[in-house]
Amino acid sequence: MTSTAAVGVAPSRPSLGRWSFPVGILVSLVVLYAIVANGAHEQAQDQFINALTIGAIYALIALGYTMVYGIIELINFAHGEVFMCGSFVSWWLLTTLGFSGAISDPIVLAGVLVLAFAVSMVVMGVVGVVIERVAYRRLRNAPRLAPLITAIGVSFILQNIIYVTVSNSIITIPQIIPNPVISFGPVAIREINLFVIVLAVVLMIGLQAFITRTRLGRAMRSTAIDREAAQLMGVDINTTIALTFFIGSALAGAAGVVQGLYFGITAFNIGFQAGLKAFTAAVLGGIGNTTGAAIGGFVIGFLEVISSVYGYGRWSEAAVFGALVLVLIFRPTGILGQAAGDRA
Amino acid sequence: MKLTRLGALVAGAVLVFGACSSTSSPAASSGAGGGTIAIKVGIELPMTGGEAPNGVPTANGVALALSQITVPGFTITINQQDDAVNGKHNANQGATNMGLLANDAQVLFVVGPYNSSVAQAEIPVTNAAGLIQCSPANTAVSLTKGDSAVALRKTNPSKIAYVRVATTDDNQGAGGADIVYNTIGAKSAYVLDDTQTYGKGLAQGFADAYTKLGGTILKTDSPPDTTTDFTSYVTAIKGVNPPAVFYGGVTTSGIGLFRKQMAQQGLTNIPLAGGDGISDGSAATASSFLNIAGDGSANTYSTVAAIHDIPNPDKFAADYKTKFNTDPGAYSAPGYACTQIFLQALKAVSSGVTDLAKLREAVRAYVADPSHSFDTVLGKVGFDANGDTTQHSISYYKYDATAKDWVFFKQRDFIADPIK
Amino acid sequence: MSAARSAVPRWAAGPLARAGTLLGHHQSVSIVLGGLVAAVILPAIALLPPFNGFGTQKDWVGGFANAGVFVLLAIGLNVVVGLAGLLDLGYAAFFAIGAYTYAYGASGFTGLDIPFWIMLPVGAGVAALFGLLLGAPTLRLRGDYLAIVTLGFGEIVPVVILNSDPYTNGTNGITGLSQPDLYGLFGVNGFGFTNPWPYFFTVVVIIMVAFMLLYRLEDSRLGRAWVAIREDELAAASMGINTVTTKLLAFAIGATTSGLAGAFYAAKLGVVTPDQFGFTVSFTALAMVVLGGMGNIWGVAAGAFVIYEIQSQGLKQLGGFVQALHVPAFALGPVSVDLGSINFLNYQYLLYGLALVGMMLLRPEGLFPSRRRRRELREAVDEPAELKIEELLEGTES
Repeated sequence: MTSTAAVGVAPSRPSLGRWSFPVGILVSLVVLYAIVANGAHEQAQDQFINALTIGAIYALIALGYTMVYGIIELINFAHGEVFMCGSFVSWWLLTTLGFSGAISDPIVLAGVLVLAFAVSMVVMGVVGVVIERVAYRRLRNAPRLAPLITAIGVSFILQNIIYVTVSNSIITIPQIIPNPVISFGPVAIREINLFVIVLAVVLMIGLQAFITRTRLGRAMRSTAIDREAAQLMGVDINTTIALTFFIGSALAGAAGVVQGLYFGITAFNIGFQAGLKAFTAAVLGGIGNTTGAAIGGFVIGFLEVISSVYGYGRWSEAAVFGALVLVLIFRPTGILGQAAGDRA
Repeated sequence: MKLTRLGALVAGAVLVFGACSSTSSPAASSGAGGGTIAIKVGIELPMTGGEAPNGVPTANGVALALSQITVPGFTITINQQDDAVNGKHNANQGATNMGLLANDAQVLFVVGPYNSSVAQAEIPVTNAAGLIQCSPANTAVSLTKGDSAVALRKTNPSKIAYVRVATTDDNQGAGGADIVYNTIGAKSAYVLDDTQTYGKGLAQGFADAYTKLGGTILKTDSPPDTTTDFTSYVTAIKGVNPPAVFYGGVTTSGIGLFRKQMAQQGLTNIPLAGGDGISDGSAATASSFLNIAGDGSANTYSTVAAIHDIPNPDKFAADYKTKFNTDPGAYSAPGYACTQIFLQALKAVSSGVTDLAKLREAVRAYVADPSHSFDTVLGKVGFDANGDTTQHSISYYKYDATAKDWVFFKQRDFIADPIK
Repeated sequence: MSAARSAVPRWAAGPLARAGTLLGHHQSVSIVLGGLVAAVILPAIALLPPFNGFGTQKDWVGGFANAGVFVLLAIGLNVVVGLAGLLDLGYAAFFAIGAYTYAYGASGFTGLDIPFWIMLPVGAGVAALFGLLLGAPTLRLRGDYLAIVTLGFGEIVPVVILNSDPYTNGTNGITGLSQPDLYGLFGVNGFGFTNPWPYFFTVVVIIMVAFMLLYRLEDSRLGRAWVAIREDELAAASMGINTVTTKLLAFAIGATTSGLAGAFYAAKLGVVTPDQFGFTVSFTALAMVVLGGMGNIWGVAAGAFVIYEIQSQGLKQLGGFVQALHVPAFALGPVSVDLGSINFLNYQYLLYGLALVGMMLLRPEGLFPSRRRRRELREAVDEPAELKIEELLEGTES
């Protein structure tokens, strides 16, 4: 779960060392902007921001997928539904508190946002832990198919609980972040887009810091690498796995709140599609690698916007999966995945 | 070990099934007892999942009709089938259900289906069985007109067993073109569809009529029906800045969301027109287009594939509300109308006939006969030689901000007054 | 099949023993017998209470014909997932290909009208070809990467069909497909749309043929190569197994039954549209394989049939059952619960999900597992989730 910066290569080849990762990101962004601009002309900036925003949402969901996979090698199909439930939690909170539109007072807005995120993240985190405890723990050592089927069963359950108790169709969520456009010189971006992108980046950096610098983060990484050795070193596996689920589901819950803020709607069946794309993003980036998941999320976002910009909107789903297949053919473990020889 | 577990499973299953009743659900029954013939009206609609909001109100319309109208000498109940599998309409399930209904000798008439793609699988079955079905909502042209329609009636090509009270998408698209070209006055338009049968057919009907009127189509786009992120499409529209946008599709494909995102990007001044897929209730109705579009509802237009000036619209709504405690759905009245047609046909053919098979064929022949017309809640309805309704009127609606609902403003009969 | 003991009279013991060895050696015979039994017994059961309360025999037989499609899908997927251990989450793609192949062969869209019986093997062949095509990119991928790529293909194929209007008629699909025709054999001509019996017998025959072709694979060299790859690919390659061809063959052979199923399904329904082949079909087939007993072809077939019937009949009847119980409404905290008014159709997938989770927790090897699988899964599930340091240090010197 670390970034793969090129370190210690042969002296004859010049290397950027620590800077290769940020430089790589910058170069990719420039290239992507050029591709978008070629198709969108004057709308290039807007479309670029659209891509970054939707990519950020996919990245947030993908992070949860990749963390759970990294630690117990389970494709948690229910994760997309956790995202969906997170959006319903924020819907419930905002409508119960009585909001119906943009909040103009920045202090109240900040307060409500913090509350919405806190509640949704904690609730979905707990739900994730409960799901792990009830449905997945027993099957931890079973061959892959069993927990996979269970995960799909759990996703049905979550979907249908919402379907029968809340609504069987699309419901609207008050969009409390106001609409106006902020300008930084030549760059014009709407408040909501800025908020989503900044939030996602902050959460990702925070997650990375947590994983690399804290004891609990080390425990998660060591459990992912070798569960038994970690136990021998005194790591409590059950707690560590529960914590992983908590964090992953909390991030999905955050993405759910963002869904409500950005799109203003939710429905019982949005979890499947979003989860599928986010999972594709996680695999694209190298499953088990959190930086990869983030990158994968943005790649998927750009793929969708680019196919729309060039007039191939109806092919966007095929484009996303087609890209996945291509990447995996040439790099079987994903963009930032571990070399194939590592795992048995 | 294995055997006892298996035995327990089987025993459990048998116990569960053992206490069950048959598949028909109890519903309205008509008056006279003793000496009456028991017959059924079949309902074949999506009743569960994401499409329940489409099917359930329509089925309620049928039930309302049966509770209000009786035919002496008959006890009428409902045989209700659901063609939704995992929340989505399923053509194979529809065909299976139609087989079930055809197999039930007491079923003389079926109301349904809701989706044109399901109808494609059902028409061969009802055609072979000689069982008449009346769709309250199908609008795809290929179901009744052209070679594909004849191919569907493979077993008995000259026998019509499929009629519908909704008119076809070529007319509805023409209505949309009329709105965009004449009412809005836009000589060029941006056209979108949701890649599904209805949406694509409607957009095609629009495009054909619009170009005939002299309009230009600036650009077309087809966002997949699972799209929630329309921002890239909206931004593209911003670039083209068309005088009007036409979107063929249903609210569940995300058109409301699309309009909301148009509003967010400041494009509410561009009018949006759509078909009956977005005419699904006021801003207060949960999950309707207007409800989801929110501020974007301003400057929107829709059409309905039925006449507006129906006799007694308020009485129907009031009766529906009394019985079901909620407002009628968009297709409750057509469901009611189909049932009225059946009951009138039954009254006309049933004297002296007691054999169920003969009754079924007599009802079919009577309904399909182009010379017959029926008094329904939608007005006077008849069917032409293809099974299409004689009502070719499309009603136009505009969003009104004070009423927060669609408000009717015009109606046009495309047979009497076609687009040239 | 061992002969019974004292219950069998002496004059029957000999012939019975010989019958047993005959059936044991020539399982084709037992397959044919099984098919005949199914063809006779299933419709007979439909006449017995309580089943005759849910529908007429004709309705049941129509349901069996539909179930047969899923049985074919399940036994094909069993080859890929159960035998070769390749996690295929997009199996519906091959089903779609089989169905559209039939549509190209027998509809007004292309103008061809090739008889159904010829299109069956053609459909199987085309599906097998696509099995090779779609399996090829996955060869270097491990377990879960393979799963997501196959899932991707399962999504891509319907999208391609949907958007390629000139070739597939897009969202409207291809209508007017010809039904199977026996040209007077057994007194039957075209199958039509109202009589389910010819479809039922046809699908039983197709399933029998598929069984005969597939069951032998399990014990063949190829089958054992699949098991070897499933358990440990590196070791299998070291033992000289060509993993590339073995995996490709798994995909190709697994896809053939879906080609058969697709052709049958298309012919019976008379229309193919891209929205009939979504993820739910792939997932249902996978659930049937897993719940029926991965690796065991008989188990998978039986499981597929049982699950389909429960899905199409059982859940519908649950509502009637609960209503018949007449449980009075009671209060659960602030909420009043009235069991009689619950529309179980709405809860269908909730119950399905609960059943899946329950099955996996209680009996992950499936209803009718193969012995090998049961050993694998039982050991795995019963293994403690964490080691205790004390256990590890037991027996070592301090």
